[in-house]
Amino acid sequence: MSRTDAVTRILFEAFPTAEVRLFYALGYTAIGIFCWGVYVQIRKYRRGTALALEGSLWSRAGGMVAQVFSHRTVNRRDHAAGGAHRLIFYGFVLLFLGTATITLQYDILEPLFGIRFWQGEFYLIFSLVLDIAGIALLVGLVYMMYRRGWLKLPKLDYARTDRALGDPDFLRPEYRREDWAFLWTLVIIGCTGFLLEAARLVWLHARPDVWDTRWWSPVGAAVAQALEAVGLTAHGGAVLRLSLWWFHGLLALTFIALIPFTKVKHIFTSAASLMVRDPKAAQRLTRIPATQETPGVAKITDFTWKQLLNLDACTKCGRCHEACPARAVGAPLSPRDVILSLREFANAALESGSLPPAAELGVHGKSPGQVSMETLWSCRTCMACVEICPVAVEHVPIIVQMRRKLVEDGDMDPLLTKTLQTIHKTGNSFGESKRKRGSWTKSLPFKVKDARKEPVDLLWFVGDYASFDPRNQKVTQIFATLLHEAGVDFGILYDGESNAGNDVRRVGEEGLYEVLAESNIASLAAATFKSIVTTDPHSYNTILNEYPDFGGKYPIQHYTSLLKQLFMDGNLKVTRPLALKTTFHDPCHLGRFNKGYEAPREVLRLLGCQLIDMKRCRDNSFCCGAGGGRIWIPDPVGSEKPAQNRMREAAAIPGLEVYVVSCPKDLTMFEDALKTTGNEGKFVVKELIELVREAVSAPEIPAVPA
Amino acid sequence: MKILIAVKQVAALDEDFEIREDGRDVEAEFLIRDLNEWDDYSLEEAVKIKEASSGPVEVVVVSVAPEEADEALRKCLAKGADRALRIWDDAMEGSDPIAIARVLAAAAKAEAPDMLFAGVQSSDQTFASTGIATAAFLGWPHAAVVSSLDYAPGAKSAVFRRELEGGLLQEVEIQCPAVLTIQLGINTPRYASLRSIKQAAAKPVEVKTLADLKLSAGEVGESGSHSRIRRMYIPDKGQAQLIEGDAAAKARRLAEIIREFKGDAA
Amino acid sequence: MSGVLVIAEQRRGELRPVSLELISAARALQGAEGLRSAEGNTVTVAVIARSPELFLDSLKLAGVDEILAVKVAAAEFDPDTFETAVGALIEARKPGVVLVAHSVDSFGYAAALAAKLDLGLATDVFKAERIDGTLVATRGGYGQKVNVEVDFPGRSTVLLAIRANTFKPPDQPGAPRISEFAAPATASRSGGRDFIELSSNDDVDMTAAEFILTIGRGIGEETNVAQFKELADAVGATLGCSRPIADAGWLPKSRQVGQSGKTASACKLYIAMGVSGAIQHLAGMKHVSTIVAVNSDAGASIFGVAKYGVVGDIFEIAEELRRLF
Repeated sequence: MSRTDAVTRILFEAFPTAEVRLFYALGYTAIGIFCWGVYVQIRKYRRGTALALEGSLWSRAGGMVAQVFSHRTVNRRDHAAGGAHRLIFYGFVLLFLGTATITLQYDILEPLFGIRFWQGEFYLIFSLVLDIAGIALLVGLVYMMYRRGWLKLPKLDYARTDRALGDPDFLRPEYRREDWAFLWTLVIIGCTGFLLEAARLVWLHARPDVWDTRWWSPVGAAVAQALEAVGLTAHGGAVLRLSLWWFHGLLALTFIALIPFTKVKHIFTSAASLMVRDPKAAQRLTRIPATQETPGVAKITDFTWKQLLNLDACTKCGRCHEACPARAVGAPLSPRDVILSLREFANAALESGSLPPAAELGVHGKSPGQVSMETLWSCRTCMACVEICPVAVEHVPIIVQMRRKLVEDGDMDPLLTKTLQTIHKTGNSFGESKRKRGSWTKSLPFKVKDARKEPVDLLWFVGDYASFDPRNQKVTQIFATLLHEAGVDFGILYDGESNAGNDVRRVGEEGLYEVLAESNIASLAAATFKSIVTTDPHSYNTILNEYPDFGGKYPIQHYTSLLKQLFMDGNLKVTRPLALKTTFHDPCHLGRFNKGYEAPREVLRLLGCQLIDMKRCRDNSFCCGAGGGRIWIPDPVGSEKPAQNRMREAAAIPGLEVYVVSCPKDLTMFEDALKTTGNEGKFVVKELIELVREAVSAPEIPAVPA
Repeated sequence: MKILIAVKQVAALDEDFEIREDGRDVEAEFLIRDLNEWDDYSLEEAVKIKEASSGPVEVVVVSVAPEEADEALRKCLAKGADRALRIWDDAMEGSDPIAIARVLAAAAKAEAPDMLFAGVQSSDQTFASTGIATAAFLGWPHAAVVSSLDYAPGAKSAVFRRELEGGLLQEVEIQCPAVLTIQLGINTPRYASLRSIKQAAAKPVEVKTLADLKLSAGEVGESGSHSRIRRMYIPDKGQAQLIEGDAAAKARRLAEIIREFKGDAA
Repeated sequence: MSGVLVIAEQRRGELRPVSLELISAARALQGAEGLRSAEGNTVTVAVIARSPELFLDSLKLAGVDEILAVKVAAAEFDPDTFETAVGALIEARKPGVVLVAHSVDSFGYAAALAAKLDLGLATDVFKAERIDGTLVATRGGYGQKVNVEVDFPGRSTVLLAIRANTFKPPDQPGAPRISEFAAPATASRSGGRDFIELSSNDDVDMTAAEFILTIGRGIGEETNVAQFKELADAVGATLGCSRPIADAGWLPKSRQVGQSGKTASACKLYIAMGVSGAIQHLAGMKHVSTIVAVNSDAGASIFGVAKYGVVGDIFEIAEELRRLF
């Protein structure tokens, strides 16, 4: 037998049996505490309402494993944190697998079946891998300490935007303490691990199979050399090893026992959250179940078990806090704080043996753990938070469901109340008569078909702003003309069209949304067409993702895709290429919501424009601030608006000539912000349709008169 | 304790409306119906009194109108009214405020409330008469244009403020039961979510006829009215001189007008 | 033709100006010059007050044939007192037409009187005439979007509530007969206590301003008020507002122009931006000699009373105008 065959580490070497038993007893106790903790958490989730998940559990599990192991979500938009966490993750996983492997042999395979594999070459490679894992873990941890302690990143500042200095939960120092405790515990476990390895080597220096193979544990070996260099003897090594062993072991067991009670539980809760995620969480909101008495969420137990799990998955990484446009302009909303408040509330209310009385479970208000009206109404439902969250927390549905209760109680800004009443009465947010919906068509030299009366190929769902707002009406007329010139057989619903309801739903007026959806679906059902096109991304989102729940499933595209197609097919030709320096603002409901980033960029390229993207583009596009019903809620006097913030970002592009939008609300918000930020004259805001008009000259043959 | 509120479903004119052939009204298809704005406030005032009261208070809304008004009545139920009552008979067609008031008074006698509220006026015909005429038929104390109210259900008197011209208010004490017409701005009417309106749709609207109230056809409709519509017509719009051009041109002309005026004033 | 009875209004020791407008309305009803003061066709003005003698001099105007001083116990208006007094006057004099102002006071009693005494009734009347001997009153309908002519078949006495600021008060003095009229005592079931003026820190007096710039619902959000305040300052106008702005608290109530706000009595130039022209607002300003209306809605009622109209975006216009001052 070669010497390397027998190389292994004897567990519990030189331990009296009593000590071994003690360790096992402590181990089982730790596991017991861990299991109790897990039970308390699961009991908490089960106190939420029921929810059935779509799709098979296996595919979800597979997807989760892929996401966790690739660490794609942790790496997005923060490669430093992504890299460091990868090191920590792989280090930790490998070390855990290492311990599991040892346990497998030592406690199961060897005593039961006499199988030994943890020896020889396997053992040596194992040792090397684990040393590297340990280094990786420590490097990652030290970087994280540097991030928190020295870089002091704003997103890791836990001061709340919706509380003031002096409020009990304003600064939350207990979060910082827990973060540092977590980091230090792991660092100490790691370091003592290496020290322990080194001490053992010094202790067993005399054994050739240990000492001669020591460089397979390079860190341990290096530290052992250093220890010997300062005079540690073999006996000293033995003492050091024994004391470190217990210290390291107890610390590790305590760590394990406390997992479900501390931030460490994110190991499980984050993975579970990723497994139960709904990729369309913000794009497709859920109906109020028929069994539910009061709409929306009033008590903590009105949340689903999945939402309660989401609350626990949050690791306070602060990316949603950073991405939120409301937070960026100083509104009292941080998605992170909504989740953390509710988490604190859930932990306080749902972790004891019996459930507190209903009166104590209300989550609306200003006490610690509650979420205030002002916070909920600040949200633009732009889903920047949901999009970037590495652990799949779904903030937007939580906020909307809490808004449903506010709406039911009438706790809204008076202007919003009035707008909802207006929409109910007239089907549009402008209060105009339904008959005027098609009045933008009157000044056109051709007749726009009435899709209620005759079949059309393409049904154009125009939308409120495009139909009634004077500035947007110009764009609508141009689009109609372009379609006409391209020979597209299209029509509109005229009075049969109402507000699509996307924003009404996100305000939380679910009853009114149902009325609007049902009315539009009835109009669509009575018309004959092949597909729908819309110039309004909000309408696009709700018709595409939410109308099917109400019985209306239609093929629909946003106009940018249609225009691209028309150019590709040659129905529209660029006759005057525009050599303009442009930037494109991805509208939330087209871009981030439905991944529609490419078509508008293609069109700009075809037009001959030079496109310079802003830093916050595509999935990180910065909302204009009009979503979530905010266009119907006045902004506080004196504060910056998200659109102004965005304009300043655009103004930093040298030589910018055109800021291109493809959404009616964006056009309104940004033209206004252009003026109020003092950028008028420096560049212009234009709809993509307007640029297309400039690049495509009208055909020689005049349009056929009506 | 009971508070009775007279409400009206008013009609607003749609775009491009047309006068009926007989020239006495607008074509029905151009009328858009909704609950009178003043009634939001009077209903809210009653519901506030009910919510503040330790004893039970029943809030009943009543309207003299055909079936299409049920929608407005259900909205009232969604906003906190306990019962809705509608009175109609074909003979009531063409009633002016006094004829309506006669019917309301008969209904009030049957309901025996402690207070009767109405809006100062309706936003469509702005007579500002119905509530006060009802008080005459009931023989009750009455007051109009109430902008704030201090009343305990069942009390023998109430103190309120009436909103006079020029932003002046007057504090008044009145014996109860009384008829009060309520002015806009007295409170902030609550929002009735679509859900609550849908749920109210399941609640019944009690319907009564002339016979139920022991009224004769001669007391209502045109025969019971104190005025008659001869002709309805679209007036010539006043001739404002329109200033044309782009925004800058319009502003220049405005500036001219201002400077001219200042020149005169100087 | 049994004459016209005009009920004057007074408050806090002052005769309300609308009382004089009623006299002109009464004269218009009497018809041609020759018919006036003919047998029974007289204009009688009744003053119902605790001290009616205080108001007699202001009523000595051309067109008034008789003034009736009606002494009552109530210090200020209350519905019961006026119903009893006016009812007694109608019983005694049997006028063909009774004119009251369409005012807060008359809201409190006119319809009750018409119901009790079976009088013809029309309110918010802005034109009253005789067509072929029939009394015809014209009022607004459907939110003042149409005009409605009404008559009163079979009614020997008709009560009309006349819209304020529609008729010009008589400008010639007259010498009417003055008599006392004893009205029966009233056990009033309501009584006025104090008058309350809404004070504010803002010491502006809209009734004295000669140049007013008013903003209405069209300005959208509270954050936009500042832009128009600046514009008003720049052009030298006093900033006013319509009711919705004051109700929302964006400007103090002292700046509200309209029926329940202030009347722009001294105003000569009135620029209304984003104001639709609801009748209650018009009541406070339609008399102004030069009214400029700026609104994005070409169909807004304000254009009906304006001398100059600008149909456009009020913010753009405001900005451009600001540049020129």
